Amino acid sequence: MKRRTKRLLNDLDQEIREHIELATQENIDRGMKPQEARYAALRKFGNVTRAKEDAREVWSMVWLEQLGQDVRFARRRLRRSPIFTSVAILTLALGIGATTAIFSIVNSALLRPLEYRDPQQLFLVCEIVPQMAKFYPVLDANFPDFRIWQTQVHSFEDVAIAESTTADLTGQGQPEVLHGVRASANIFSVLGAAPALGRSFRPDEDESGRGHVVILTDTFWRNRFAADPSAIGKAIMLDGIPHEIIGVLAPSFRFPAALGGLENYARVNFFKPLNGPAEYEQGLIGEFDFDAVARLRPGVTPQQALAELNVVQAGIARQANEGVDLKGLLVPLEEQVVGPARRGLLLLLAAVLVVLLIVCCNLASLLLARVPGRMREAAIRTSFGATQGRLIRQLLTETLLLSCTGGALGILSATFALRWLVRMAPPGIPRLDEVHMDARVLLFALVMSLATGAIFGVIPALRVVRSQPVEALKTGTAATTENRRTRRVRQSLVSFEVALTTLLLVLAGLLTASLGQLLRVHTGFAVQNVLLADVDLPPQSYSQLHDRLHFYDKVLVGVQSLPAIRASGWVSIPPLGGQGSVTGITIPGGPRQQEETPVANYRPVSPGYFSAMGIPLLEGRIFGPADDGRKIVVVSQSVADRFWPGKSAIGQICITQWGADTPAEVVGVVGDIRTVQLDEPPLMMVYVPHWFNAISVPASGAIVLRTGNDPSSYVGPIRELIHSIDADVPVTTLRPMSEIVSHSVDSRRFPMFLAMVFALSSLLLASLGIYGVVRYSVEQRRLELGIRIALGANLRDLFRMVLRQGMAPVLVGLGGGIVAALLTGRLIASLLFGVASSDPLTLAAVAIVVASVALLACYLPARRATRVDPMIALRYE
Amino acid sequence: MSTREERERIELLQGTLDLLILRTLLFGEAHGHAIAKAIEFRSDEVLQVEQGSLYPALHRLIRRGWISVQEGTSENNRRAKFYRLTVTGRKQLATETNRWEKFAGAIARILLPTGERE
Repeated sequence: MKRRTKRLLNDLDQEIREHIELATQENIDRGMKPQEARYAALRKFGNVTRAKEDAREVWSMVWLEQLGQDVRFARRRLRRSPIFTSVAILTLALGIGATTAIFSIVNSALLRPLEYRDPQQLFLVCEIVPQMAKFYPVLDANFPDFRIWQTQVHSFEDVAIAESTTADLTGQGQPEVLHGVRASANIFSVLGAAPALGRSFRPDEDESGRGHVVILTDTFWRNRFAADPSAIGKAIMLDGIPHEIIGVLAPSFRFPAALGGLENYARVNFFKPLNGPAEYEQGLIGEFDFDAVARLRPGVTPQQALAELNVVQAGIARQANEGVDLKGLLVPLEEQVVGPARRGLLLLLAAVLVVLLIVCCNLASLLLARVPGRMREAAIRTSFGATQGRLIRQLLTETLLLSCTGGALGILSATFALRWLVRMAPPGIPRLDEVHMDARVLLFALVMSLATGAIFGVIPALRVVRSQPVEALKTGTAATTENRRTRRVRQSLVSFEVALTTLLLVLAGLLTASLGQLLRVHTGFAVQNVLLADVDLPPQSYSQLHDRLHFYDKVLVGVQSLPAIRASGWVSIPPLGGQGSVTGITIPGGPRQQEETPVANYRPVSPGYFSAMGIPLLEGRIFGPADDGRKIVVVSQSVADRFWPGKSAIGQICITQWGADTPAEVVGVVGDIRTVQLDEPPLMMVYVPHWFNAISVPASGAIVLRTGNDPSSYVGPIRELIHSIDADVPVTTLRPMSEIVSHSVDSRRFPMFLAMVFALSSLLLASLGIYGVVRYSVEQRRLELGIRIALGANLRDLFRMVLRQGMAPVLVGLGGGIVAALLTGRLIASLLFGVASSDPLTLAAVAIVVASVALLACYLPARRATRVDPMIALRYE
Repeated sequence: MSTREERERIELLQGTLDLLILRTLLFGEAHGHAIAKAIEFRSDEVLQVEQGSLYPALHRLIRRGWISVQEGTSENNRRAKFYRLTVTGRKQLATETNRWEKFAGAIARILLPTGERE
């Protein structure tokens, strides 16, 4: 403020005093008595303070000054009730912190665009063979088809393919399996990213025999080469072949997991070019092994691109002449990356927001309890000329101060929570490795802080302001009974809280029940006392079938020397390892056309596999060494039921279409197993012996051990055994089956766990809320209770009355929550397994838990009500 | 002052106080109390100025540059602030008066029966 203005304002006091004196004098001149004259002058002048404030307001950024005053005043008030203040700040910090942490994940997974050039132009290209759509609705991309797209689909600026791969790293101590991506040379230009060091792939490196170059990821380069730039140009041995390091990717580069079927980019160590199609990758139809990503030309719509792609696909089908059609599909890359996780993440965000809302309700309720005190204060302020707006502003400053302090602490706790969440989270959450708190997250936290402050502050503030100042001043400190309207507001808050809590508990309960159902599901194989060792035989020394067989035989003989081995065997892909080696299957006289035959998963196994894995033999026998050379198979029950319903499958002939049609005799039927996931029904399985055909001894397989005691105690000995047989064979994973089963449901366990944490926190908060309301009501009614007791009221009746009044809003909320859960059940149905969203058992359990916790919360203050000493209560007035 | 008298008085419309102050100062500089008294006297005591609101209004006019303030001596020989119209204030008064006449005329045309019009 300018000096002149300051003087003007400073002199205002004097000026007003002068004014009133002049007016008084005039009144006296008119014949009034001095005292009377002065009052009349004062009355006529009106509110002096208000006049001065208004004059100040003309000159200043008054709201800023008032804000300063309000903040100082709020701080003083809050410091005077430290318990309320710390409870409020703490619950707000937890609420806002949890919300911010979950939002950070949602932000990076769903909201932040992919970090490539014009990500909206990137589309995943998939292929569809309508005749096989029954088994494979959508296929990945085929190598030769990709070559054709590159030249013929002009809507694509360019298109690249990629697949995940592994390579054995040797020549640097222990052999190690590296995870990598085999991609077309243009992959980085299609995505719009270049290596930070060195160069990208050259187109000629896609040619056969010329692609012995690698680009390393930043993490691998840092760990293995200590971030040494001179690593460029050096060679590393991958699968026994020297590969030249030509580049290193930027630390910020991320490869979408949706490309190349990666679990997590963090595990990728290298990228290598296609190095030509492998022998089996030459056909125009089949081997749909790659993920293709296309960048659309600017201005081309996805519809136009798809139309052109389908014309090209029809041409490919004609050229292939295999009697099948070929179509295409374009999926926005963004959609592919985040699609499946969207619902679960949004649900978690909603759940945590509900917790925050309950925090708000509780604080509003606590503040309402302080309303009568504030009413007197407000009345005094009003009579000094404070406007309603000014009063509300001042009350809100107090709650905003609380919520912003809570928010600041919340952001702090969110950074810790986030680190923990990222470590705990299952691989299903997209872009988890990119999670961090960016400006949007901070803005979100700020908005949340302001919103919570406004939400829990505004109801009490309105109550304070709406009070009649004269009434408030007259009633004095103690009211005989609780203010009815305030009480009704607090009771509705309780109902609301209970309803929200019920909703969350139902959600958490249903997710828990789903997981329980899933873990109880009949897997078809033994989970306990089974150890799996995945081995990866290096191609250079194990290109021959008999070399591979020799290795497995040596391992199986070797394990016999370990104590308490009940059974042992090997398999190409163990249960829960997913689909693989899928083959058409038919019977003599059955349909031959590929599109009409059902498909089965084809598993080379050693005879001991079934007893090691605990898969029961239902009929017939398992093949043994005596059968060597015979075309015989063991099938799962679903195969037998499909082809020979009501008949014995033993001795029947089935024809597998792996490579060439191979008729084989069924010698045994074994139980069905869950092949892909616990929540996916069993698939048809055909088990073949190692002599069945040229690929019946897998280069990467699992050794299965049935142990007499804790399987994890065998981990060390098995590793040593395999190392002693061939030091160049890496053991990729070595885990008990129970761990694999448990790991396979991680993607369900994580949201379930979080939902449970949120639900229990809200139950705790709600019970505190209920306790607070009932306790306060008893406090307020001490006098009334005292009179009742003095007049001889039955203590039990009194107790029941308080209990009844406390529980009434709880039951309303409980009912509302259950109705809401039934109504919203449809939204979460896709996340459940084996339970309906209206599962009566879960609903009943939740109702009982909520009711008993609420009863306990009412019980304590109700007991207090019966202990009111009438003498003290009456004297207290 | 009887209650009846009070009832006949009219509270000022929002914003008209500024106009009245400017008009009052057309006669020459005056201090706060004199301005308030002049407004009441000239309206035959019909217009009720809550005198407190006079001061914020004066400050508002100073801020807009329509009036200026000077130290002086009041009739009972005390130091007092005297307010006077500035050149812009004079112009402003002309436009404001014009606007007010239009406004009052419009209201009158609506309220008065046709025959009573001039």
